[in-house]
Amino acid sequence: MPNLLVCYKWTLDEQDIKINPADLSLDSSRAKGKISDFDRMALEEAAQIVEKQGGAVDALSYGTPAVKQSLKDVLSRGPNKVYYIADASAEIADGAVTAKVLAAAARKLGGYDLILVGEGSSDAFNQQTGPRLAALLGLPCVSFVAKMTLEGNTLTATRKLADCTEQVTVTTPAVVQVLSEINKPRIPSMKQVLGASKKPSGEIKLADLGLSPQELAPKAVRKSVKGFVMSRKNVIYKESNAEANVQKLVASLAAEGLR
Amino acid sequence: MAGVFVFSEDLALARQLLTPALELKASLGEPLVALTTSEAGAKELAALGADRAIWLKTEAAPEQLALALADLLGKEQASVVLVGGTLRGKHVASQVAARLDAAMATDAKTLKIADGKLEITRVLYAGLAVAEEVLVLPAVATVPARTFLPPSAVAQAGAVETVELAGDARVTITAVTATGNEGVDISAASMLVSIGRGFRKQDDVKLAADLAGAIKAELACTRGIAEDEHWLPIERYIGISGQTVKPELYLAVGLSGQVQHMVGCRESKLIVAVNNDERAPIFEAADYGIVGDLYQVLPLLTAALKN
Ligand SMILES: Cc1cc2nc3c(=O)[nH]c(=O)nc-3n(C[C@H](O)[C@H](O)[C@H](O)COP(=O)(O)OP(=O)(O)OC[C@H]3O[C@@H](n4cnc5c(N)ncnc54)[C@H](O)[C@@H]3O)c2cc1C
Ligand SMILES: Nc1ncnc2c1ncn2[C@@H]1O[C@H](COP(=O)(O)O)[C@@H](O)[C@H]1O
Repeated sequence: MPNLLVCYKWTLDEQDIKINPADLSLDSSRAKGKISDFDRMALEEAAQIVEKQGGAVDALSYGTPAVKQSLKDVLSRGPNKVYYIADASAEIADGAVTAKVLAAAARKLGGYDLILVGEGSSDAFNQQTGPRLAALLGLPCVSFVAKMTLEGNTLTATRKLADCTEQVTVTTPAVVQVLSEINKPRIPSMKQVLGASKKPSGEIKLADLGLSPQELAPKAVRKSVKGFVMSRKNVIYKESNAEANVQKLVASLAAEGLR
Repeated sequence: MAGVFVFSEDLALARQLLTPALELKASLGEPLVALTTSEAGAKELAALGADRAIWLKTEAAPEQLALALADLLGKEQASVVLVGGTLRGKHVASQVAARLDAAMATDAKTLKIADGKLEITRVLYAGLAVAEEVLVLPAVATVPARTFLPPSAVAQAGAVETVELAGDARVTITAVTATGNEGVDISAASMLVSIGRGFRKQDDVKLAADLAGAIKAELACTRGIAEDEHWLPIERYIGISGQTVKPELYLAVGLSGQVQHMVGCRESKLIVAVNNDERAPIFEAADYGIVGDLYQVLPLLTAALKN
């Protein structure tokens, strides 16, 4: 029966981030955390596999100490156990560091048939972690997967690319990067939410992963982050009379030289 | 270290990559080397300013080349590797970066060398913010399609070489099906009517198609319409994981205007919204808007614009 590992990222909910108009800095003081959107599909896919054929799912996350807020949420989505690395270094970790930390943790835990990651994280959207992780672990990587079935040691997957879909097969262990369209994640039931608090979590100390300070130094460093502000005319026609609104819009388009 | 390298399995994108690569070459004073999977492509890239163009002779799919390519780039001591930002390209770039233990930036919009490092800009939070990032060399960056125009031909074409590469056969491709790409280049359209989940059923898309017909626009959509409903082909969806467009007019109907969508159309000249929810974020991003039911507004708008 398969042993699965799902990597998920605990990110800020971008809908709560405000842009400070004076200097375009980001104000995330009121932003709540969330499981990165597409990682919910990775969690759901793993849950569906073990529901069908047995086995076990672990979840793994590397984050700042705030990652601890994610544990119950993630456990309510299916995994039997969650492992986490809570370390301030995650704040500035780039794709290189993240993949090294996750690879070292996956190696330490050991014995997974499949490692699932999401298509891209909702904050950085690097789309790097899956393929990087596979390269570091020496495992084959199946990216952009829209559909998958696992039978014994064989994973059959449908990859969806811009101009074609590919059917591929790979012998496990492997890393799979799932597309968001692969499934519709369930909203955890009350029973799952309550059950989550009884499930185990395990902290992995960054220092126990055997990574040197050099390996933990990001190679891509953020120099500035500025909120993007749109400046638009914002002329909104909202009379109850739809015809009047349409006439005004058509006149505006004409004034803009479009008709 | 020596060399600015470009790679894309998509020749049109490979040509575009030469433009930022030529600038990086000038700043670094290192040769520009183009890698591509067809012989004709290699010749063409050599004529567009690559000092060397390497035809990667192989039967393998681009992803299967990632590790061999990384070894080649390692041997060449590449300083910067620009990869065309297709899905395949992102897979290749990430594995090359991992194998070379290199920095990587996904979807770089601007690139320059400063203090011996690669400085790029890219979006964060799906478009809410723009970040400047500094990457130590060697660095890998993917560049989205149509970010740069291709350069013009040079007087003296570079040398063309051939390297045979064996693909990684651990992932076996058993079938490839072309998706119904109708050959429309949505990014070339000067007007777009873009639809979202405000449309209740597939038949209703006709309302948008009629409007598009009246103003000679193409149809576009949000991710959900393409990926979940499959009402329009995926090459018509706009956003962070879809297309980026800059038309004269972007007419957004029944779509909420989430940042992940808007990042793909916010450079449009004029944005017009039709939405029945006055508080929908699309109105903040719009020049003009109508608050109203699309089922009522669209037929009226189509009729009015036909004349
Ligand atoms: C990491 C990530 C990447 C993403 N990438 C993309 C992307 O590339 N592209 C993309 O589009 N999305 C993307 N999304 C999804 C995005 O966040 C939004 O969920 C999506 O764009 C919303 O689609 P929508 O506007 O069609 O639907 P909704 O948000 O459901 O909006 C429907 C709108 O229709 C209006 N409406 C309803 N009925 C009517 C009516 N009768 N008349 C008029 N108006 C009506 C409603 O008021 C509402 O505003 C991404 C999400 C994530 C997390
Ligand atoms: N810090 C992290 N901890 C665990 N998983 C992560 C982390 N960062 C990224 N991932 C996984 O890698 C995927 C792609 O992330 P990214 O490369 O940042 O776009 C995410 O969907 C997660 O599954």
